[in-house]
Amino acid sequence: MRAMYLANYFVAGCIAFSLLGWVASLHPITFRAVLCLLATIAIAWGLSWLLDFSLSKLLKISVADLQALLIGGLAMLLIGLGVFLCT
Amino acid sequence: MHLKLFVLSASSVVLWLAPLVVLDKRLDIHKALQGVSLTAAIACAVSAGNIARELFEQGEIEAIKKRAITADVVDEISTSAYISQQQRQQEAELILTSPGLDVEESRKALEAIYSNDLQDSTSPDEHPDYPIYLEVCKSREAGKSTTWIVENILKMGGRKFSEGKVKLQTLLNQFEEEGK
Repeated sequence: MRAMYLANYFVAGCIAFSLLGWVASLHPITFRAVLCLLATIAIAWGLSWLLDFSLSKLLKISVADLQALLIGGLAMLLIGLGVFLCT
Repeated sequence: MHLKLFVLSASSVVLWLAPLVVLDKRLDIHKALQGVSLTAAIACAVSAGNIARELFEQGEIEAIKKRAITADVVDEISTSAYISQQQRQQEAELILTSPGLDVEESRKALEAIYSNDLQDSTSPDEHPDYPIYLEVCKSREAGKSTTWIVENILKMGGRKFSEGKVKLQTLLNQFEEEGK
């Protein structure tokens, strides 16, 4: 059941990034806004890798869990946007 | 609950992929449908995730309960085994130590019984010195002196006079105490 709920949250994340792509496709302004948002997410993602030990203490989770979350987030982004762009 | 979970999971995937792949892009409502479908897909996925997490936590609680019950049972069994082992050990120690005690106790008890029996069985009338004591009593009543009694009744005159005097005193003490 643990795998089931993790998979569901993963799918939800993928769909969220697809929705972000869909929002970006609506208008050039929204496209720029989404680009800014993605850039922010990328910076936050990179900083999280650099500050993983501090963040893990702050969030009270293990470093391995935080790294898994970051990798999972990247996978969600790639899959979500990939699915939206390829269809 | 499981059925709801599976339906929500499947519908989330379908609502995510179907509008992107199947919908005709020439339709005016294509974009709107995509947006609605993706939003509904997110809602379904999050709901399914919440249900799955709830079920997972319930399962964990059940597993913890089962482990606690198992630990309790194991603890109870080991405690009872320990207690019974101690009881057996105590019984064994008692068995090992009791024969000596029994012998000693029974020896003392037998000694006490034997001495009581002796005292009871030898009543003053049956004592071998009792006739002499009676004669001594008669002589004393008759006003005879101690020297006369030692020499004539106990037949211990001369060198044995002092012994006779002691014997007379012992005789008197013995039968007068028993008479009381």
